[in-house]
Amino acid sequence: MNESTRFARSIRFLADRFPMEKLNFQSMVAKKDVPVHRMSWAYYLGGLVLFFFGIQLMTGIALLFYYQPSVSDAHASVEYLTRNVAGGALIRNIHAWSSSGMIFTLLIHLLTTFAMKAFARPRELTWVSGVLLLMLTFAFGFTGYLLPWHQIAVNATKVGLQSIEQLGEFLPGALSEIPTKIRVAIQGEAAVGQATLSRFFAAHVVLLPLATFAVLGLHLFQVQIHGMSPGVDKPTTRSERFFPFFVLKDFRVWGVVMFVLATIALCIPFEAFFDYPLFEPYDALGSTPDGIKPEWYFLFLYYPLELLPFWLVNLIVMLAVGVLLMAPVIFRGTSRRVLSTIAILVAAYLVVSTVFGQEIYEMIKGGH
Amino acid sequence: MRSLKPLAVIALVLALPSAATAYPEFQKYSQERSGRGVNCAMCHAHADGPDGVKAGQVGSLDAEGIARLNAARIAFEPGQKVDSPILNRFGDAIIEGVGKNAVLSMRATPAGLGDAMRLSDLDGDGISDGDEYDEGTHPLDPNHGDPWKLFVVNLSRHRLDLLLLALATALGLYGLGHILTWFGHAAEAALGRGKSPKE
Amino acid sequence: MLEAFLYVGLPYLALALLVVGTAYRFVFRPYSVTSLSSQVLEKRSLAWGSVPWHLGILVVLVGHLVPFLVPGLWQAIVASEPVLLAVEAIGMAAGVMALAGIVVLLVRRVLVARLQSVTTVVDLLVLAVLAAQVVLGLLVAVLHPWGAAWAPGTLMRYLHGLFTLSPDLGLVSEMPPAVKAHVVLAFALFALVPFSRLVHAFVVPVGYLVRPFQRVVWASARRAESVAVLPGGDPEEGRRGLMRGLAGVGGAAALMAVGVFDKVARFVKGDDMTKAEKEALLSQKLERLEQTAEQRALELERMRKELIPIAKLGELLPAAGKYFIDFEMRAALAFKGADGAPILISAKCTHLGCTVGSQADEQGRILCPCHVSYFDIKTGQPNEGAPAKTPLPHLGWALRGPDGKIVAQKPAGRALEGTFDPSLADHEVCVIRDTDRGAV
Repeated sequence: MNESTRFARSIRFLADRFPMEKLNFQSMVAKKDVPVHRMSWAYYLGGLVLFFFGIQLMTGIALLFYYQPSVSDAHASVEYLTRNVAGGALIRNIHAWSSSGMIFTLLIHLLTTFAMKAFARPRELTWVSGVLLLMLTFAFGFTGYLLPWHQIAVNATKVGLQSIEQLGEFLPGALSEIPTKIRVAIQGEAAVGQATLSRFFAAHVVLLPLATFAVLGLHLFQVQIHGMSPGVDKPTTRSERFFPFFVLKDFRVWGVVMFVLATIALCIPFEAFFDYPLFEPYDALGSTPDGIKPEWYFLFLYYPLELLPFWLVNLIVMLAVGVLLMAPVIFRGTSRRVLSTIAILVAAYLVVSTVFGQEIYEMIKGGH
Repeated sequence: MRSLKPLAVIALVLALPSAATAYPEFQKYSQERSGRGVNCAMCHAHADGPDGVKAGQVGSLDAEGIARLNAARIAFEPGQKVDSPILNRFGDAIIEGVGKNAVLSMRATPAGLGDAMRLSDLDGDGISDGDEYDEGTHPLDPNHGDPWKLFVVNLSRHRLDLLLLALATALGLYGLGHILTWFGHAAEAALGRGKSPKE
Repeated sequence: MLEAFLYVGLPYLALALLVVGTAYRFVFRPYSVTSLSSQVLEKRSLAWGSVPWHLGILVVLVGHLVPFLVPGLWQAIVASEPVLLAVEAIGMAAGVMALAGIVVLLVRRVLVARLQSVTTVVDLLVLAVLAAQVVLGLLVAVLHPWGAAWAPGTLMRYLHGLFTLSPDLGLVSEMPPAVKAHVVLAFALFALVPFSRLVHAFVVPVGYLVRPFQRVVWASARRAESVAVLPGGDPEEGRRGLMRGLAGVGGAAALMAVGVFDKVARFVKGDDMTKAEKEALLSQKLERLEQTAEQRALELERMRKELIPIAKLGELLPAAGKYFIDFEMRAALAFKGADGAPILISAKCTHLGCTVGSQADEQGRILCPCHVSYFDIKTGQPNEGAPAKTPLPHLGWALRGPDGKIVAQKPAGRALEGTFDPSLADHEVCVIRDTDRGAV
């Protein structure tokens, strides 16, 4: 391969991913179509995640009015917000429930786009930016969990951060110090304290939103410029206009979800599912209370960490992340039927580990 | 220490066997019955119970606090106003409602405490304090309770909000549906032929 | 006397005129029951006047009619503050819209040349009275707000009195002038109805919205089929669909806006606490600040000193550990060993860093509750099969007499220096800085 063909190939790669000739109103709005087939419902999921993200932004800004990110005031300010500010409990509840909704929808979005082979050329960048958004969302969940500064928040964060350090045991020589240094760099001091809270706060309300805007911009740009992926092996001739038909239908879905979300947030405080001692202010001198667990969306990772050798779990996680990022290359030739099977298996694992994780754990460990 | 006033001496004597006055039987019952983690903060001012020197524990009390503590400790019969510095409002309400004697005798049958508090609901979340005790949820936190019961209670409490919300949703869906139909027609007219936009 | 005429005589007179006059027109002049549309002569300003006027006045009329018909239900609804706020805001907006519309219509009648020949004095009178009535209504709403709440108990009872033939003058005579003028002008308007275009109010084509579509039936089977699959193929259905659609979405948006505004406004406004609640909150905050201050003091002490006292030797127990903070600001536990010597052991689980419990079991082990690892106090070793693999490290200790002299010390991992006597119950056990262990 000579220089000029290399050059030509890389130019073509870019031209395929950023087809600037389509960068006009005609092809991005007026002509954009959404295929109609039995998997069409999956086209709503991305928009739904965006809707939840919008809710998170708005309620998050409202919560900022009252939240005070210091170890002495954080818990008291959250308690004040919940108990004394009119509508405070509702807004906090919406924020909590909507975060769960966002991650839930995001996971289904990931699985369906995988099953529909939406990452196929030229949509590789859409997929990769989507995986990055997934990680950003998990980072939102992890950093946001610490902010109320109650027992479960601080202790679960400690556990999460310590798993980074454990990695050092499997690294040779001088490398084994690196995970510890990373952990200290994240938490800002030897133990989880004010420095950690400040860093997590900054990450949760400034850093991560900015990063999300950037990646989301790329993601949406790619979606609009390439149009919807066909999604099935034999594309139907049936399709509907993205604007206005699909957009209006999107709004209908959002309306229903808004109703459900508001009803749940109004009627079920998410704290009701946990034991109340977990919501007492964090006590650096006391022992860790029972029942410290991460949020439900980390359980699929938490139970394997409990049950399997640490190195094995880490290996699997790294492999999984690698496979996710490289999916467009790895599964280039895979049929949609095989991809669907993989997606269903992954979904089954996620459901089983999240819903029945505790039972399985107790079965294997014999309870305690 | 010789200058102690007689009252303070009595107080000291009463305060000494404090370990024996915390009743873990009730905590154990609540925990086992509900399967939820429960700590002393259900009835006491401090989550670690009454023994210690932190705020809300016996060791931190001044003379006035000890006087209140003793008044609470001798409220043997129900109906007396209790404001114990080591108990929270639920703890006070128990002593007021059933009396110290009954509490002592209930240590053998801790389920009785739930039945005795079935009529009070201090946090006003719609679940009685007795039920909250049985279910291992906090009787003084309106945001804490059995999720399903809270759902049912709040559903009727917020019925105006929910009704308006449902109305708004229904109106929105109705409107969007009709606008969709209208666009369908407009697309028809623009195409100028009898072809559905869905084709 | 004048009052009796204005609030009792005039109403009955107006209502009688309304009924008789309108009936007369319907029966003997049926083709005069019309709004005398001038749309053919002038279209643009008519749209800008007529649409806002009719929309606005319809909303206002509903807001007057419902409390008149069902005052009890109405009062129950506006008893909620946000609803009352919303009702007043909607009423006010509708009134302003109607006023804008009627002004446009009035100006149009006066200025547009083509309309001069069809404009009668009664037309102008009707427009002027309507405009004045809307102005008066807005004036009442501004000067005497929350009419939706107070009117059912006063004005509506007066009106009910009129209809049950037992008018109560007292209910209006005490009213402010703007309200009185509004009432009188209202009856004047009723009297005007049979003599003007206002009579068209009785023939509003509401049936248009609900009547079945006019279907075009095609003779050819092929055309008929193509029409059948069209969504909104019928232009009339399409137009009606847009009206319904906009009304639905507009209503939903208005409701949501009211709901969100109500919640957000109260959220921004903040708390509504009693003095006792404020006191409790402040004292709680102060307590937390003190705890933080305590923590900072501990940190400073650990930076400055080489040994920190934990407890008297006599206070240590074999099974119930005493928590303290080591030099790295992590939790640690102090026990009394079998030989009476102190055992200082880190309480930070070597698995994932939870704080280990302080109560030792019968086998002298402490439990980390997070993932169930038992650690032997004496050796620090975790139990077989525990998630934790490495032992909890022991910390160095020193025994300091009341005079401040150190009688014995045992740095971590090294032999005892000096002589230890378990009977020195009043000597202080101190944790000493571990010079061997690196930071963190």
